[in-house]
Amino acid sequence: METSKKLTALFIALFVGAVLSPAEVLPTYALVNCRIVPVTSPVIEKGVVIIRDGLIESIGAIGKIKIPEDAEVIEAEGMTAFPGLILAHTSLFLELPKEERPVPGEARMPSEPQPEKKVQNPGLRAFNLLKPKKTTIDGYHRIGITTVLVAPEAGIFAGQSVLLNLNGEKPEAMVVKNPVALHINFVTERNSYPSSLMGTVAFLKQSFLDAEYYSSYQSHLARLQKGMKRPEYNPFLEAIIPYVIEKKPIVFTCGNQEDIKRALRLQDEFKLNAFLSGANEAWRVADLLKKAQVPLLVSLDFRPPLSSEYSQRGEEERKKAEKDIYPANPQALSKAGLKFALTSSGLIDPSSFQKNVREAIKAGLPQEEALKALTITPAQFLGVDSVLGSLEPGKIANLILANGEIFGEKTEVEKVFVDGVLFPIEKKAAEAKPTAADIAGTWKATVRTPMGEMEMTMELEQEGSQVKGFMSSQMGKWEIKDGILSGAELTFTLAATIMGETMEMAFSGKTEKDTIEGTISSAMGNAEFRATRIPKAME
Amino acid sequence: MKKRILFFSLIIGLTVSAFFGTEEATTYIAIKGAHIIPVVGEDIPEGTILINGNRIEGLGKDIPIPPGAKIVDASGLYAYPGMIDGYCYLGLSEIGSIAATNDYRETGRINPQVKATEALRPDSMHIPIARANGITAALVAPSGGFIAGQSGLIKLTGWTPEEMVIRSPVAMQVEFPAMIRAGFRREEAPREEASKQVVELKDWLNKARYYQKRKEAAARNLLLPFPEFDETLESLLPVANGDLPLMISVQAEKDIRAAIKFVQEEKLKAIFYGVSQGWKVAEEIKKADIPVVFGSLNNMPPSWEDGYDSLYRNPSVLQKAGVKIAFSSQSASSAKDLPYHAAKAAAFGLDKREALNAVTIYPAQIFGVSDIMGSLEKGKLANIVLADGDLLELRTSVHKVFIEGKEADLSNRFTELLDKFKKRDEERKLEEK
Amino acid sequence: MKEADMNKKVLAFFLGTIITIIPCFSAGGNLLIKNGTILTVTKGSLPKGDILIVGGVIRQIGENIEAPEGVRVIDASGKYVIPGIIDSHTHIALSGTNEMGEAITPEVNMSEVIQAEDLSIFTALSGGVTMVHTMHGSGNPIGGQNITLKMKWGRPAEELIVPQAYKTLKFALGENPKQASRPAFGGGSQRYPASRMGVNAIIRKKLLEAKNYMLQWERYLEAKKSKNPPKTLFPPRKDLRLEALAELLRGNLLARCHSYRADESLEFIDLSKEFGFKIACFEHIPEAFKITRELRREGIGISVFLDNWAYKVEASEGIAYSAAYCTRNGVLVSINSDGGERIRRLFNDAGKAMKYGGLTEEEALKLITINPAIQLGVEKIAGSLEVGKHGDVAVFNEHPLSAYTRCEMTIVEGDVYFDRNQYLKEREDAEKRGKDMKKPGGEK
Repeated sequence: METSKKLTALFIALFVGAVLSPAEVLPTYALVNCRIVPVTSPVIEKGVVIIRDGLIESIGAIGKIKIPEDAEVIEAEGMTAFPGLILAHTSLFLELPKEERPVPGEARMPSEPQPEKKVQNPGLRAFNLLKPKKTTIDGYHRIGITTVLVAPEAGIFAGQSVLLNLNGEKPEAMVVKNPVALHINFVTERNSYPSSLMGTVAFLKQSFLDAEYYSSYQSHLARLQKGMKRPEYNPFLEAIIPYVIEKKPIVFTCGNQEDIKRALRLQDEFKLNAFLSGANEAWRVADLLKKAQVPLLVSLDFRPPLSSEYSQRGEEERKKAEKDIYPANPQALSKAGLKFALTSSGLIDPSSFQKNVREAIKAGLPQEEALKALTITPAQFLGVDSVLGSLEPGKIANLILANGEIFGEKTEVEKVFVDGVLFPIEKKAAEAKPTAADIAGTWKATVRTPMGEMEMTMELEQEGSQVKGFMSSQMGKWEIKDGILSGAELTFTLAATIMGETMEMAFSGKTEKDTIEGTISSAMGNAEFRATRIPKAME
Repeated sequence: MKKRILFFSLIIGLTVSAFFGTEEATTYIAIKGAHIIPVVGEDIPEGTILINGNRIEGLGKDIPIPPGAKIVDASGLYAYPGMIDGYCYLGLSEIGSIAATNDYRETGRINPQVKATEALRPDSMHIPIARANGITAALVAPSGGFIAGQSGLIKLTGWTPEEMVIRSPVAMQVEFPAMIRAGFRREEAPREEASKQVVELKDWLNKARYYQKRKEAAARNLLLPFPEFDETLESLLPVANGDLPLMISVQAEKDIRAAIKFVQEEKLKAIFYGVSQGWKVAEEIKKADIPVVFGSLNNMPPSWEDGYDSLYRNPSVLQKAGVKIAFSSQSASSAKDLPYHAAKAAAFGLDKREALNAVTIYPAQIFGVSDIMGSLEKGKLANIVLADGDLLELRTSVHKVFIEGKEADLSNRFTELLDKFKKRDEERKLEEK
Repeated sequence: MKEADMNKKVLAFFLGTIITIIPCFSAGGNLLIKNGTILTVTKGSLPKGDILIVGGVIRQIGENIEAPEGVRVIDASGKYVIPGIIDSHTHIALSGTNEMGEAITPEVNMSEVIQAEDLSIFTALSGGVTMVHTMHGSGNPIGGQNITLKMKWGRPAEELIVPQAYKTLKFALGENPKQASRPAFGGGSQRYPASRMGVNAIIRKKLLEAKNYMLQWERYLEAKKSKNPPKTLFPPRKDLRLEALAELLRGNLLARCHSYRADESLEFIDLSKEFGFKIACFEHIPEAFKITRELRREGIGISVFLDNWAYKVEASEGIAYSAAYCTRNGVLVSINSDGGERIRRLFNDAGKAMKYGGLTEEEALKLITINPAIQLGVEKIAGSLEVGKHGDVAVFNEHPLSAYTRCEMTIVEGDVYFDRNQYLKEREDAEKRGKDMKKPGGEK
């Protein structure tokens, strides 16, 4: 080749390389003398893992692998290397857009369908709402989690999820796959159709039918090229067509066994590529699931659904079922030969995820199964098993070094690699952060929902990081439970009784001296919450 | 001699007739041939009841009937005392969902000053319907809030409220928290509420007593200031002094215990109402010697753990423990169903006769009117029901009802509308002829 | 061998075969109920008789039936045995009652929201109820499609569905759909329709739209079949709402209409004639006694409370005599509970029909057995004790129409789903120690 051509080619290559290649080349690491649990191949008692530029280069027994010259050697004797855990259904980092305040006089339940006012937004992409927070990422690293699927939560068509590696705070760098799936919940609208569960089912069916109709109309049009009126552009249908017509994954969140049956019926009727998430009662319909062969994202939330017999029989039986029966769900599925991933969805406090995995194991789930359900199985379900889910050469270097068995009670994660970047874990300080705020007292709270605003009075008691109390309003007095104050972050649950029906609500937000701000979420949707302290003198 | 006897009998006769003859003419009515169930005393398989004016003059197998007495042939029928409803809204509610027709619930928590009988509507369409099923008297009560007001006893005839009221007030109505129930899930309503309410009630009573003290002291000493009139405290005085019983609506086991303790500490007269979980504390209620009026048995049990039949078997457990019980309809439009609550309890263990007692003599005793009603006994008011079978049975029809000696009109809204529209079908039959 | 003995042996052998074979095909249970007073409702009574159920179906009713091998015997001496009670209008066992988002929602189907763990199913069983027609609420002029269920407590939802029952569509007239008692919502105006005029108008409008929709499809299908269909031919959009109404117009769905006043019911009959759809029953209709001739002429049944009234203005002329009077005037009457509390004392309500209107025992029992069965289209399999029908039975300790009676046992298709003696024993045991819970992967 002529020199000038060679030079041009070189310049082009460099230019292209400069634009397209990642910002920097990451260091090389050699983890030596550790026990390695690759998940898809046998355990190596004493081995070496070579990580280069974000990927696993090689794994093997000590002595069999040559340590590269440019490698930073990390002595890992006494530690075990596991693939970073994958949580296949979360709602982390989502910053929801401010809700539009409805103009009074407009709120009116229509007698006719109002398509212009469609409240569903299947086109909503989780990626566009991400606001990753370092403290949260650190917390997840501490429990060994390196990959999360983030999905919007609210509404029947909640939106589209994104798969992220917890490698920092820049969303673009975190994305592994976007979008991943369309998420559908069996919930209802409050002020418009569908406002009932049977309405939601009918609405889903009609939406799928409309997607099929719209898509086939467009194909027909495309074939003819002219002579037919073009259909009105429909963003809703455009958003769901890839999932309904092209059969990309749809995740149905199933709160109870009937939801599972509803999802399977829809899957069957419309030949969907359905995933079932939540499903903490899945063992009760194991036969159906075996036949249907759908991927299961099983939640570690052991609270019996409100519809179940146990919940209806009183608080005592409900608590008993939460302790004794529901934790045995994963092991029952395993025994039935069903493949599933474990998730933290539904857990109010994500750190209780570890505790719940241990409970599931205590109830009979083999530990290797638990590990698989958090590594290779979700990777396979999400279609990323060529790059994640196990320690194999060529895969992304998502790896954790722990000082014991992965789910052991005393085990601590010491080092975390995400995308080949090393994240050391700081030793956790004693339970509550030293700057824990004092939020005990009486507060004046305002809850803002699409229906309007409501004033409430909140009485809080605090003991270290535990918070409990009561929320009083004209609708009654509701108990605040499971409150946790971690630094300035506050979470609690509320069992609200409205007109004889009880609904669980969860609050999460921040406290700042004399204000508390955050979001209250329930099966019905989210509401903005703001409280100001009532000074003692005025009580 | 004869003249003297005649003279004296005349005097005696005049005195006697003057004594009895205020409203009623001294007419005799003899109900003959009925199977008499007096409730107090033995049944009389075939006997006569002699009514004089508004009272029962006598009853028995063979009693002499004065000449000129109106004879009512009751052969084949059963004679019972008129039933007494232990708690209802007769005359205080017409159409449940229309606020304008409801007058048993005042706004606010503390209303001891309101009297249910002052809102009574004698023309209520529900009264004749209840009367036509053998109910002759009822406790009408206010409801709602904490201290709901004063209840009164009425008879189910009369053109004006004054004519209907037998006695008012009968009790001061107080309501402890109902058991909040969402389906069968019981919310753990903070227990402080009930015991807080006891504290509040004690506080009110103490305030009332102090108010009384100040009034009395001021009455004795002109220099002392006379306290401002306080409606609430004034109305609570009879309760504080032990003259007016408290009728406490209470359901949960813990609340019942708290209520018993309260009543004993304050040395008050009390009646318990509702008492859904009474079966759990039957002994204690018995020891405290507090009578119980049940609410409607047509409610779901307060919690799944209590059992599907808890409200049904509750009366039997309490009665067997020795508690004095009575039933109520807790309604206006279903007041006629009073006997069937008693029968339902009998289906679940209550002795049938005790069930009958609990809608006749026991409520009369509880409300302090057993000297004039509640059973068929000489001297009591002639409140008599003639039925073609067991009064608590569903298929039994009531043929006649006497209230204070006068035969009551049994036509009511149901029969009127039925007759009206029977005419429509009869017209058609005529047309087709 | 005597012929009688021979017959008995043949019968025993025959039954023995049935018992071994039938269970392979049907899921029902086997029971022999002995020595009870049997009230069949349609075929008289036996003062002391037996009922043999095999494979969930009644095989024999008579005296001195021998128990085939392996069949559980239930001693009903001193007890009354009646057909399982059928509640023709209730809302139990569902996750949701009303779709209030819009006024006309026939596309919603209650079969999608069956709640088989609803404790109300047990409550129903404790009152002798074996089958219910559980419905969409009355918040909309056209509400949704209803479902008929057997009270098989503990079984998965799909097993409760009664496939033989009519498919029904809920309509509602009067105060509920026009939301009379609700103030204007959120500061805005009230939902249309807010008057009885509007209720009829919106039903008419939707039915006309449905007719239009059906026409569009007919025209499309015809055009498609034609010799040279145009290239631009494209089917109309499938609309589940209008499809449901089309099914009504085709006769595949029957209307069950919640109404109170006589006049609105008559108007609805006119509407049904205008569009050619069939009304199976009016629900509640306290004023039915005013229009017995129209109901009889049109063959429309009623499903009513016996004596629940005066809770709304439109219920203020409801009389307790209505059920009996309508029965006597040729109208098919059933008594319903409309909920989860009244459902456990439907037999008490039936008893009152003897007092208010003079129905006989048998007529009164029919109100809660064969009449609702006919209304639901399941009279071939339920509603009375007859050979060949499902073994749905309720056992009472006193005559079922007595105020003193209670339900002792409720049997659905030959399986005992409620047994008071067992319940009492379990309660006693539970009070003594903690209960055993059902673990996943284990037996029920």
